[in-house]
Amino acid sequence: MPRNMLTIANRIINQLIRDRRTIGLLVFVPLVIASLVGVSIPDKALLDYIAPAILATLILFFGFLLTGISFLRERSQGTLERLLAAPVSRLDIVGGYLFGFLLFALLQTMIIFFYMVYLLEVSFRGELWQILVFQVLIGIGAVCLGTFFSVFARNEFQMMQFIPLIIVPQIFLCGLLWPVSQMPDYLQWIAKFLPLTYGVDGIRTLMLQGQNLLDIGREVIILAAYAVGLLILAALTLRRGTSA
Amino acid sequence: MNDVAITVKNLVFNFGRLRAVDDLSLEISAGTSFGLLGPNGSGKTTLIRLMVGLLKPASGNISCLGKPPTPSNARNVGYMPQLPALYAELTVQQNIDFFARIYGLRDKKKRTQRVDEVIKLVDLYSKRKTQVMKLSGGMKQRVSLGCAIIHQPPLIFLDEPTVGLDPELRARFWDYFESLTRSGSTIIVSSHTMDDAAHCQKLAFLRGGRVIALGSPAELRAATGTAEATMEDAFLYYIKRGEVKENAA
Repeated sequence: MPRNMLTIANRIINQLIRDRRTIGLLVFVPLVIASLVGVSIPDKALLDYIAPAILATLILFFGFLLTGISFLRERSQGTLERLLAAPVSRLDIVGGYLFGFLLFALLQTMIIFFYMVYLLEVSFRGELWQILVFQVLIGIGAVCLGTFFSVFARNEFQMMQFIPLIIVPQIFLCGLLWPVSQMPDYLQWIAKFLPLTYGVDGIRTLMLQGQNLLDIGREVIILAAYAVGLLILAALTLRRGTSA
Repeated sequence: MNDVAITVKNLVFNFGRLRAVDDLSLEISAGTSFGLLGPNGSGKTTLIRLMVGLLKPASGNISCLGKPPTPSNARNVGYMPQLPALYAELTVQQNIDFFARIYGLRDKKKRTQRVDEVIKLVDLYSKRKTQVMKLSGGMKQRVSLGCAIIHQPPLIFLDEPTVGLDPELRARFWDYFESLTRSGSTIIVSSHTMDDAAHCQKLAFLRGGRVIALGSPAELRAATGTAEATMEDAFLYYIKRGEVKENAA
């Protein structure tokens, strides 16, 4: 890994650690959501069906939001411009963000996972490391998606508007609440283009059916392709939107 | 070292329909303090951003220390943007250390030594463990300067470095800039205050993305034909002269 990428990742981790309120919210908010899911769904079979999807959705949601807002701040405060004037490649910057935020996204995943499995008693037949690897894949896509869309926002308010536009439709169409196969044909067709659909499918297979990453090769490949595509897109558009 | 630090030839840059830099040519000698002076919107910041490689010109050429301004050649360049551009949650030390690493100061012992040296230089040693968000505007400017010079670059771009500083701090900044040029660095400072202009060895008056006058402060003042002319008088003189020429054309 290039040294500058590590330096940037290290800086992001330091920044987040020093922002104790954000760290508190990063831990507290997913627990509130997981608790609400647990309390509001008394049916065990339905909870087993929805809980893994919540895990995939939260990493997409928080990855997108955290990176989007952070990148926006880097642009508006001029720190991105300063970095771009330094001997740093665009891939170093996006990669640094990726590693920095993935660490926190994984931490969140583990907190929610253990909470769901041990306190809410959600069924779990797979292996933890495989779930983490799969979550990393969704997380990479989320971080790159947030980086890319931050180019189109001029302030935090605009960035927030991308949530109902980019994240909420995926939550409704990914099969979190209702199987995609039972949706109208045109919605099924749209769902095929959404990364969360593959994230939810994959994590359910891993957690509920106890299968491994090779068994969900199709989902892994599609999510990896999304991650690589978004990474390239995020790096290519990095220069756009710096203050004029 | 090359005698010429920067060469700009027929540079053009547009923001949409607005021509921000208009066929601008310039040569800046190595080891001097060069001021880009002009009102807001005259193209100073755009020109600096072009020279550090943040913007790509529509046409024309730029050469910094004999090379085009690309990220791979950025190691020899220091850049202090108009905004403090710092990480508010990190301490003074962490901010400067981050840029030290980015600019290739890998040896931990040497880096720590240099970071301490720069923190002392900008007179913030007692605040080195303080988060930047808790500092005053002037202190943030000093941290920002520290980040720009941490790697001892031979070429330093300072975009309005003295904005918002009190007269005492402004004088200290200029003392330091002068010590940098004495040690061989080339400094390009943009400003819209005539007070800064007097400190530069050479100046370019900018207006509408063009250089309307070029010379030392004394030469520019002398051109007005008035013995007591200030830099402001000189600037107004060149604006009026430009307007007369335009009207005549």
